[in-house]
Amino acid sequence: MKRERSKKYFWLQRLRILTQVIFFLLFFLLFLQTHYPGEDYLKVTVERFFHFDPLLLAATAIASRTIYAALLLSLITLAATLLLGRFVCGWLCPLGAVHQFFSFIFKRSRLLRPGKEDRASLAPKYLILLVVLAAALLSVNLVGYLDPLSFLYRSFAVFISPLLNLGLVQSGNLAYALGLKSLGQAASQAAGNLAFNGLFQNALLIGALFLLAILLNVRKERFWCRYLCPAGALLGLFSRFNLFKLKIDPDRCINCHLCSIHCQTNARPYPAGEWRSSECVYCETCAAICPTAAISFPLRWQPEKMRGVDLDRRRVLLTSLTGLVLAPIFKISPLRRRSNPGLIRPPGALAEPEFLNRCLKCGECTKVCPTNALHPALAEAGPEGVWTPVLVPRIGYCEYYCSLCTQVCPTGAIRELTIEEKVTVKIGTAWVDKTRCLPYALGKPCIVCEEHCPVSPKAIQLIKVDTLTPDGVVATNLAPFVNVDTCIGCGICENKCVVMDLPAIRVSSIGEHRSSHNRLVLPAAEDQNQLKP
Amino acid sequence: MERRDFLKNLIVGGLALKFSTPVFSQPAGPELTVVEGESPEAITREAVKALGGMSRFISRGDKVLIKPNIGWDRTPEMAACTNPDVVAALVAMSLESGAKEVVVMDHTINQPKRCYARSGIQEAARAAGARVLFTDEQRLKKMALKGEWLKEWEVFQDFVEADKIINVPIAKVHSLSRVTLGLKNWLGAIGGNRNQLHQKIDQAVVDLGAFFKPTLTVLDAYRILVRNGPQGGRVSDTRLQKTVVAGMDPVAVDAYGATFFELKPQELPFLKLAQSRGLGKFELEKVRIEKRAV
Repeated sequence: MKRERSKKYFWLQRLRILTQVIFFLLFFLLFLQTHYPGEDYLKVTVERFFHFDPLLLAATAIASRTIYAALLLSLITLAATLLLGRFVCGWLCPLGAVHQFFSFIFKRSRLLRPGKEDRASLAPKYLILLVVLAAALLSVNLVGYLDPLSFLYRSFAVFISPLLNLGLVQSGNLAYALGLKSLGQAASQAAGNLAFNGLFQNALLIGALFLLAILLNVRKERFWCRYLCPAGALLGLFSRFNLFKLKIDPDRCINCHLCSIHCQTNARPYPAGEWRSSECVYCETCAAICPTAAISFPLRWQPEKMRGVDLDRRRVLLTSLTGLVLAPIFKISPLRRRSNPGLIRPPGALAEPEFLNRCLKCGECTKVCPTNALHPALAEAGPEGVWTPVLVPRIGYCEYYCSLCTQVCPTGAIRELTIEEKVTVKIGTAWVDKTRCLPYALGKPCIVCEEHCPVSPKAIQLIKVDTLTPDGVVATNLAPFVNVDTCIGCGICENKCVVMDLPAIRVSSIGEHRSSHNRLVLPAAEDQNQLKP
Repeated sequence: MERRDFLKNLIVGGLALKFSTPVFSQPAGPELTVVEGESPEAITREAVKALGGMSRFISRGDKVLIKPNIGWDRTPEMAACTNPDVVAALVAMSLESGAKEVVVMDHTINQPKRCYARSGIQEAARAAGARVLFTDEQRLKKMALKGEWLKEWEVFQDFVEADKIINVPIAKVHSLSRVTLGLKNWLGAIGGNRNQLHQKIDQAVVDLGAFFKPTLTVLDAYRILVRNGPQGGRVSDTRLQKTVVAGMDPVAVDAYGATFFELKPQELPFLKLAQSRGLGKFELEKVRIEKRAV
């Protein structure tokens, strides 16, 4: 018998790789586009990838009991998967492409040596999916932690973006040092135009998890996709027809195991009849690698049975119960009663419970923020709110005429606002610390906070203040006085305050419009009906 | 021409100029020009023309740096940043006078890209032929300012390396220095913790003014900010003045600018300080002013 690999599947495999590269680049391009474009409104729907993720539709719909219209696009993904199986994982998913790439690298460098037979259970991802959905039933939205798009985008926004920025700045630095002025200039102008945010709290943690996810590929090819990905699990459950079915020609098969060894997701192309259609991502590796071209994927109409993944009723029930029992733990937090003063949400953020039900922690808003003001929370928002966006005025402030973060939220956790609407939204209130403020505490002139206040008339007004100094002289200076009714909590005062360590004017979340209880001053009777959460 | 002849002519001519009666010499031109009109571009051109034309300030091959106020994320009708047409006119005139390169740059207060875009300056100046560049932290260098208060500070090298600098502030009110005009505009040429300068703002702007000596100062008072300075926020915070003031004496330009706000120059401590430092004259009655309308 002539030994020859299949040309057709070789080219199909190349096409798959090309598609992966294209979709990853598309993802990255949209990531780069997620910045201030020089106009008030983004023309590109930079968060589009998320809308095609059915896991996000399911989890946020269950958790928030509402359906966000844009996410209905994911029904296309679902319908395609129903007919064709998990090709989205193998061909389109950008995180899948990242894992595939590193698996390939690790295999080439012999760090990863897949064995002939791998009996490890592929069930964990289904169980993770069950926990996520069960928790969503109790309005605890955990989907963003392991959803592949949220995971990848967050890692890029918080970890890769500062590295890219650093790379640009440092290469500019190097160019200047070498006397290449125009190159240095080009680097700095590119940095200014791309507006990468360079600093993030928790960047190390998020970056470490991203690197860990990549390193797991040393243990098993596409470790994430095999064992962890809840989106892949959902698609696996929906891959019913698998119109293109794996077929091994018994006359040609030489039982070499190559197909099984190199199957990216351990879908068992060999032996015949063992193929786990719900695990197959149609990477075409098996068909391309087969030395005798024994493997093919002919079109056949019968529905497939899910097999090989141990999802018996007891396990499913137990896991769902675990999810239901675990979920309330996330709710045991004093933040349910008293707001955290440091939890300043982006303008347009829904009231906290609804916000948490929808937020994916994806990092779109943190990426687009032009002043680096939005950061992934650690403890500020309680156990449910880890990595949700929080505004940290000391690092960046909310730019008055900017509503970009409200334009990019994939699930509407941040309501889309026009610039005109945005400038009316109060996200907190500034407070003067008279023990640190220069005119109050030192009797020295300083009006920096007032100067920067973007509201007209200014929410920081100036009053004359007398300070008795130790030598008996009374120093009279203009000093800030915050008008709590007009202050919107943008935080530029705190950001620009000359007291660098602990600013003498600080914003806390009190008075934020989105909350009905985190209020300070009850407005006049006629204004009360205008309160909008 | 022989070298000997050339030197002889030079000496004779020089002596003639020095000792001739005023009849033979050119009548002294204005030190300050104030031009009013409907078009920001036209009044800018006329103001520079009345001073003797841009070729008096810019030589062929010069690298010119134009420093507008692009400090805020505000559109032109808010009068927080310099009028883009005024900047564009200066760019065009500099290039017409043979400038090799014109760079427009400011160290902004709000996010740079937003300020450059929404002020309209980036687009207008680029269309006129300038390179509009963001300031680059890598180009900051601590320099001896040798001021009364500011001994040294971080300065963007672009401002030091340029052959000619044109300062193009906008006239605005300010709660501490009362007005912000040309001298205070130099806060946009430096880095560091600029907000500390407010602790002695008058001394700081004079120290900066003494360090950055502009070839020309052109004050944009087309639409001035009269309330809620220095960034306004509403059109009602502004007033149409439709004027441009130009001069080589930065103190005289600022002194004239103060009059738009119903202030007498002697009421502004930084002008007095600037005069005593020898930066120029604030007593407008001693300044040759030419007013025109276009």
